[in-house]
Amino acid sequence: MGNKLGRRRQVVDEKYTRPQGLYQHKDVDHKKLRKLILDSKLAPCYPGDDECGGCDLEECPICFLYYPSLNRSRCCMKGICTECFLQMKTPNSARPTQCPFCKTSNYAVEYRGLKTKEEKGMEQIEEQRVIEAKIRMRQQELQDEEERNLKRREVSSSNSITASAASDLCSTAALSFTSAIEGEEIVTSEDPCSPSVTRHPLRARQNREDDFDLDLEDIMVMEAIWLSIQESGRRQNPVYRQMAPDQCMVESQCISAVTGPVAGSSSSPSGGLACAIAALAERQQMGGETSSSHGLNMSTYNMLPGSNRFPCTEEREPEDLHHTGGSAEALPDDIQLAMTQGEREWVDNRSEMADIGTSYAGSDGGEADVATPSSFPLQNESNEVFHPIAGQIVPESFEEQMMLAMAVSLAEARARTSSPGVTWH
Amino acid sequence: MTSPSPSSRKSLSKIACNRLQKELVEWELNPPAGFKHKVTDNLQRWVIEVNGAPGTLYAGETYQLQVDFPEHYPMEAPQVIFIPPAPLHPHIYSNGHICLDILYDSWSPAMTVSSICISILSMLSSSPAKQRPADNDRYVKNCRNGRSPKETRWWFHDDKV
Repeated sequence: MGNKLGRRRQVVDEKYTRPQGLYQHKDVDHKKLRKLILDSKLAPCYPGDDECGGCDLEECPICFLYYPSLNRSRCCMKGICTECFLQMKTPNSARPTQCPFCKTSNYAVEYRGLKTKEEKGMEQIEEQRVIEAKIRMRQQELQDEEERNLKRREVSSSNSITASAASDLCSTAALSFTSAIEGEEIVTSEDPCSPSVTRHPLRARQNREDDFDLDLEDIMVMEAIWLSIQESGRRQNPVYRQMAPDQCMVESQCISAVTGPVAGSSSSPSGGLACAIAALAERQQMGGETSSSHGLNMSTYNMLPGSNRFPCTEEREPEDLHHTGGSAEALPDDIQLAMTQGEREWVDNRSEMADIGTSYAGSDGGEADVATPSSFPLQNESNEVFHPIAGQIVPESFEEQMMLAMAVSLAEARARTSSPGVTWH
Repeated sequence: MTSPSPSSRKSLSKIACNRLQKELVEWELNPPAGFKHKVTDNLQRWVIEVNGAPGTLYAGETYQLQVDFPEHYPMEAPQVIFIPPAPLHPHIYSNGHICLDILYDSWSPAMTVSSICISILSMLSSSPAKQRPADNDRYVKNCRNGRSPKETRWWFHDDKV
């Protein structure tokens, strides 16, 4: 209220203007620290929480405690709590301090108060991109491995049948395994506290640069995170909320569908082989199709590859309806960034498409898969709901579709922010 | 808060203890590929099994890392060595000391045990030849009385391996 000249002062309890004893600080100028905190140049020294209780806290990447707000590096915007920052800045050191995150010299932080919704959204988008890239990388790796196996198989032709059956078995198992996890993830992401799920990767972030060697488990975890981000975006759609009661049922279907082929393939290798070939073929096909269908129907489209993934289920008819026939040009980056959480799933589909168009279709098809099981609950819905939509509300041009989708999800996002506590279990 | 560690190191500070516990939980949820933490009740010393990455010179081989945490971890770097027999590598001495900048000068409190492990595996994986550092014998002789590698003045000259 009211205009004040100069820098805004923040109202901070006196006891949070000095260190809480996280470290035994030496050489801290308490007077200066107090002034910096009152002048909003440093975050108040709130006592760090062990757990992310309210889920609206940020984790300091150094002490791993949770705070209402953190300081940010000027160089790379990474967060740090005030007490850890004081440890980094040793006043008597001759050398200029390096940023602990990006190693830029002359480390300095600024304090911007609580994170805004936009900042959080941007962070999530960035987080999600990294996850996607990792998934792509891992899929490429798996593919390479499969090729290697294939070559090996050619070399040892004596027991070729069993060998190939075994390796195909592996690939089906891998595919279905990830989806089993996705099935689970639908359950966990119902937790109203989903920010804790999305926050989780923050800690993993520091290893990201050199963390190229992922195993399947990593992938699954990433997919789970990815899905939970998607899911939290999706939750703001009232349709989904209404569907919540059905969801459990669909989930169990999903899981049984997943476990089915695995059990089958382990008992009969040839069945596994057939399933794997079918799955691969469908993935490939899907890769092609993705590039020609997009737009308003994107979120409904999402679920289709999911049903394709299980060779035993035949729920493909609606697919053709989804072809709205526009061109598959990628969005400019800035538009993607400007979008808020709401249309994230949407955006992702767009960027995936761009990838599919240009690079390895096979493995990208797999990536599109990733998006699917989260929308599994839609499956029965879409069969009924979808036809009228396809017939009636198809904006003519691609741009119009874009605008419409953005408008819709912005409205949804707004609706959500104005009504907090959208919690269903 | 007394540490059962055999050495006379100071026990972990409260913040170090807290962070290590969280790192351990995170590790158990999401261990770096190729590593296995050997469970002990000693938070201050981790013993970690390293499996050479497939397709590299160390494929199929297993080594053990010993990570000792100082009182003021993570402000101070942990001491990381291979428990002999150490892998044959141009930057790994036969006494297990590792010439890797992030363990010494370039340590940052934003790093974790997990990120150290990944760096070490990456160092192993990019090795061009299984051989000891040129000055291995001299160095190991100088370290006879159990000197910590953190007391060595390292010279980091090779950014390829």
